[in-house]
Amino acid sequence: MTSRRQLLKSAVLGGGAGVVAATALGSLGPEAAFGAAPPQVAPGTPDPGFAEGRIRSIKDNTLLVLGSNWVFHTIRVVDGTSLWKLGPVAFDHVKPGDGLYARGVRMPDGVLAAESVWLNIVNVKGHIKNITDDRLHLDHDDKEILCHRVAGTSVAVYSDAPPSADLSRLRVGQHVQVLGAWRPDTNEVDIATVFSPH
Amino acid sequence: MYGIAALQPYVIGLFLLWAGLVKLLGRRMRAQAGRTALARLVGPARAVTALRLAGVLELAVAAALLLPPALPVEGVAATGLSMGFLAYLTYARRAAPASSCGCLGAHSRPVSTRGFARAGVLLAASVAAIWAGPHPPAPALALAGLAEIAVLLGLSPELDRHWLMPLRRLLVRLRRPLAVTPEQAREIPLEVSLRLLYLSSAYCSTSARLRSDVQEAWDEDGVRFVVYAAHGGTAVFAVPLAGGDPSAVRVALIDEPALT
Repeated sequence: MTSRRQLLKSAVLGGGAGVVAATALGSLGPEAAFGAAPPQVAPGTPDPGFAEGRIRSIKDNTLLVLGSNWVFHTIRVVDGTSLWKLGPVAFDHVKPGDGLYARGVRMPDGVLAAESVWLNIVNVKGHIKNITDDRLHLDHDDKEILCHRVAGTSVAVYSDAPPSADLSRLRVGQHVQVLGAWRPDTNEVDIATVFSPH
Repeated sequence: MYGIAALQPYVIGLFLLWAGLVKLLGRRMRAQAGRTALARLVGPARAVTALRLAGVLELAVAAALLLPPALPVEGVAATGLSMGFLAYLTYARRAAPASSCGCLGAHSRPVSTRGFARAGVLLAASVAAIWAGPHPPAPALALAGLAEIAVLLGLSPELDRHWLMPLRRLLVRLRRPLAVTPEQAREIPLEVSLRLLYLSSAYCSTSARLRSDVQEAWDEDGVRFVVYAAHGGTAVFAVPLAGGDPSAVRVALIDEPALT
C-alpha cells in the first residue's frame, strides 16, 4: 500500500504523468448517484449500468440486492470499486440491510461489475425544526428526520463562505439540503454535507 | 371543583373569540382557505364562506360564554362545537391528510396529534363549563386559567413561529450544540477537500475520464491525495490542505501497468 501511495504521490507531485483532455462523460462524485442517466440509454428503458435496492445477502465479493421494483440485482465488488458510506470505506463496512445505488458495467451473465457503490446515501431537503446536541431535527414533508453531525466528516456548504466542518451557522427555521448516509430502518441520517442557502 | 368549572367559560370564550376573529379578519387566513381541509369538505369556491361562518359561530359561542349570566346551555353549545372540531379534524386527517385545518391561523402544516389534543382539552373544558356557576375570584383560579390557556396555546402549531421557534433559537444561541472544539476545527473533512477539488481545472479536465467515486484518500506533507479509478488506469489528485485556491490542485493519470 505504501509503495503504491509513494508511486501515486511521486506521479502527481513529480510530474511523472500527464493530464488528459476531457471527453463527454461526467463526474462520479456522490452527487452523480442522483444524476441523470448517461445519454446512451434510451428514454424509458432501464439503465443496464445502474442498480439500486437493499442488500439481502453478501457472499464473498458479491451482493444480492433487492430493488425497490422487486427486481433482484447481483452486484460484484472488485478491487477498483469505490465504496461510499458517508465517505470512502472498505468492503467490510458493507452490511446486509444497507440500501445502495451502484454504477458499473453489466456483464453478459447479468452481474453488475460495480465501479462505484453508494451505501445508504440520501439527499433530503427540509426545514430545521430544532438543533440539539450534534443533531439537526429536520422537518421533511412534516416528518422528522434526525440528522447527526459526525465529527471529522460532516461539512456545511454555505453560500457566502468556503465549505467547513463548522455547522454552527445553521439556524432553527431555515431551509437546508442534507446529503448523508441513512441509518437503516430508522429516521436518522449521518450528515456528509449540509447545504445552506445562506 | 366548582371554581375550575366556573373558570372554563372564560378560558374557552377567550380562545373561541381569538379563533373567530382570526377567521373573520385574517387576510392570510382567507388567502389560504383553499388549502385547508375545509376546502375539501365544502369545495374550494365555498371555503372562504365556510370559514367565515365557522368564525361567526365561534364568536357567538364565545360571546355567550363570556357574557353573564352563566347558563348550562352555553356549556352544551361549547361541547357541541368542540365535538364538531374533533369530527372535522378526524375528517381532515382521513380525507385531506396533506391539508392544514385552518383552525387558528394560516399555516401549511397538516392536522397533527397536537391539534387533536387541543380539541380534546377544549371538549373537556366545555363539558366542565356545563356546571359553571357564580364563583368568587381567587388568585389560584387565575393561575389555573393562565396555565390552561398556556396549554391550549402550546398545543397550537399555528403559533409555533411566535414562541417555539424563537425559544429554540435562543436555546441554540446559549447552548451552541454545534460548536466545534479547537481539535475538531483543525481536522479538515475529506468533503472540504473534494469541494475544492471539484472547482479545480485539474478536476474539470479529468472528470470525464473518471470511472469511480473516491477509492482512497490520505494526507501527507500538508497535501491530501485523492485517488479515483480512471479509464485505463488511476487518477490521483493532490489537494493542498491549507488554503482555498483551486488552481493549486494537481492531477496525474497513471496507466494500470505502471501500478503493478
